[in-house]
Amino acid sequence: MFANYLIGLREGLEASLVIGILVAYLVRTHRRGLLREVWIGVGAAAALSLAIGAFLTLGPSSLSFTAQELIGGILSIVTVALVTWMIFWMGKTARFLKGNLENALEKAIAVGSGAVVTMAFIAVGREGIETALFLWAGISAAGATLAPVVGAVLGLASAVVLGILFYRGAVRLNLRVFFQWTGVFLIIVAGGVLAYGIHDLQEAGVLPGLNNLAFDVSAAVPAGSVHGTLLKGIFNFSAQTTVLQAVAWFAYVVPVMFLFVRMAFRGSPKPQAAASPSSAPALTR
Amino acid sequence: MNVRFALPALALALPLAACASSTDATQVAVSSTATECVVSATTAPTGAVAFDVTNDGDQVTEFYIYAQDGETVVAEVEGIGPSLTRTLTVTLAAGTYVTACKPGETGDGIRGEFVVGAAPSA
Repeated sequence: MFANYLIGLREGLEASLVIGILVAYLVRTHRRGLLREVWIGVGAAAALSLAIGAFLTLGPSSLSFTAQELIGGILSIVTVALVTWMIFWMGKTARFLKGNLENALEKAIAVGSGAVVTMAFIAVGREGIETALFLWAGISAAGATLAPVVGAVLGLASAVVLGILFYRGAVRLNLRVFFQWTGVFLIIVAGGVLAYGIHDLQEAGVLPGLNNLAFDVSAAVPAGSVHGTLLKGIFNFSAQTTVLQAVAWFAYVVPVMFLFVRMAFRGSPKPQAAASPSSAPALTR
Repeated sequence: MNVRFALPALALALPLAACASSTDATQVAVSSTATECVVSATTAPTGAVAFDVTNDGDQVTEFYIYAQDGETVVAEVEGIGPSLTRTLTVTLAAGTYVTACKPGETGDGIRGEFVVGAAPSA
């Protein structure tokens, strides 16, 4: 049961944290009106995943391997694009906050309801089908034993609780600090999603180098361990990472982090907010 | 509803178009434990083969079908929790394949040979 619990936790954690950040973002920028769109996206993705999972588990058809890996790869790359876009909303927001331009915030980071629905839909849908297949397999086994499905549901529930705790912490932070550090966090998450997608495409044979490993730390970070589950669930860390995955991770994280840090931690759109370095030590408030 | 929303919906709907019917597939049962990978048959006629993979161990397991080189993945099913059964249906051309259970989701797995098309076809 514990192993099934960890699978549930792993599958739900990333989605839960991304939704937690999205909700915190909307609440803190006074856009509570868009929360309904978040739950529409989450609900639609969960319902569609469960329906597809049921169709594939209980119906006469099953998902071909290539299609499955292709879906995994495509959804991962769409997720990376969307999360990157979300990261730069945050960078922009942090930048405006530094210049005390909260009034300008409204116009600068106008977010459409379609964007919010899509973000929530993709965050949940990316691993949704895989999770649904796992849940339906548990339900199919329920005649023999309830333990797997109970474990999996408890794992998913724990992921949701961690997302709520993350949200609670996030809304207490200083607003600017919130945008800066959730942005940094999301860049690492998105890098992991990209590497995960690359691995799917390598398994499908679309990309080469499946057996060309950059490192193998599966002895130190076993997939069935709690720390392995958390690393996999939050950052998509793979104990056996291929060279291509590692290259893609760095090629994404390094430039995006550079641009984000420059935008969110230093830059300010108004010159008076940026004191020149030489005069900074003399400034006392 | 806009274009951005339609794209992920399309991506999720795509597998439905790529479904393989498993009703006329050759059924093969697989039992994966910490130390064993018992495959109920090691041969099958050319065509669809449905592997019903049951995890009889206490770690999460995976089941792979490799090409003869033992490296190229032909098909796989991941994340099979203890006590669960997942079905992997795959259409196999004549040839020799390698099956592998990976208890603990790591390593090269417990491997075996699987021959397709060699059995006398009626």
